[in-house]
Amino acid sequence: MSEISLKDFPCVATISRILREEAPYLAGVIDKQFGEFGSEWLSEFEADLATFFSGDMEKLRLATQGYIKFALDGMLLQKRFDKTGRYEPKTYDQAAAEVYQNEQYMHTLYLPGIYLSHFLWRHHFIQHLYFLDQFVPKVKAHGGTTYYDVGVGTGFYLREMLRRIPGLRGHGFDLSPSSLSYTDRMVTAFGLRDRCTLNLQNILTDPPSPPASFLTNVEVLEHLEDPLAFLKGLNKLLAPGGLGMITAAVTAPNADHIYLYSSVDELVAQAREAGFIVIDSREDKAYEPRRPNESVPRNAIVIVSK
Amino acid sequence: MDVLSTMTTVFRRVFDDESIKLADATTAQDIPGWDSLTHINLIIEIEDEFGLKFTVDDIAGLKNVGEMVAMVERKLAAKRQDA
Repeated sequence: MSEISLKDFPCVATISRILREEAPYLAGVIDKQFGEFGSEWLSEFEADLATFFSGDMEKLRLATQGYIKFALDGMLLQKRFDKTGRYEPKTYDQAAAEVYQNEQYMHTLYLPGIYLSHFLWRHHFIQHLYFLDQFVPKVKAHGGTTYYDVGVGTGFYLREMLRRIPGLRGHGFDLSPSSLSYTDRMVTAFGLRDRCTLNLQNILTDPPSPPASFLTNVEVLEHLEDPLAFLKGLNKLLAPGGLGMITAAVTAPNADHIYLYSSVDELVAQAREAGFIVIDSREDKAYEPRRPNESVPRNAIVIVSK
Repeated sequence: MDVLSTMTTVFRRVFDDESIKLADATTAQDIPGWDSLTHINLIIEIEDEFGLKFTVDDIAGLKNVGEMVAMVERKLAAKRQDA
């Protein structure tokens, strides 16, 4: 049983109940996150879910079941990664066919899994806090009004940028129609659809113009065969003096992770080589390893300028 | 092969607790320390013990030990058929 009262948090209570009933070994995550991040985490999570699912508890149930599979898939791969020290070999085209262009996989497992992980995974929630505490104030102080989110995923960060910075106009890019439709649902639910465009567009072969004041690129690089080439492409999208937040998964295998980052230092070095000025960086773990030599999913973040 | 008794051996090893007794209805709420990380360690140890490889679909719906045993028995039967 949960140790915290979820009486006034019906969406989180629904997730907690489904986890207890269908995957009891995952149910402790609610108490764990509350224990580390407190009532602010709980209130924000409830508000997010209430807005996004708009009272549709059946959709929330399906999303939670997708999260269960997403989390299990990642944990299984993490254990196999411990044995080999490398991601399962895959080309971008293979990953795209298996994941990004697979509408059923995207909508039933991958996208709901990622969305809920923003609150249920320690390192993802810390990334969100860092975004709010470190990136958003810099963006507000800058005063620019144009913004590119490259690789929108669930639309979480596109939505957050628009929500937190009134007057900003956003343009989201992705190669997956499923990601764009999920993002459409996300920004519509938060009343932000009229402040952004969503584009099925490869920014390397068809770069948008003019360069934007701000960009975000959240957990895209590890999905690529050549992240440095991609970072060089991103660099061209940022106006001089602009600001970007770029993140990458580190030692975190997934069905579509190709490029293995070993630390935030590698991301910092690549960002610099691509022409960015690195203003700040950090790395966070999903949890503490229990055994020596046990790998742990981590997250690397850089705030960059140009 | 008695899957439940082999699985009991695996559980005792993973939890380092010789007193564990499994029943079909046993869930993660019945065994202290059965969280997500221990669960995945169990899954990997069961794979190794029975010479099987599980997919996420195999393991996602498992709510108790009885369902784990049934899944392993299904996979073993399929493996015998393929051999």
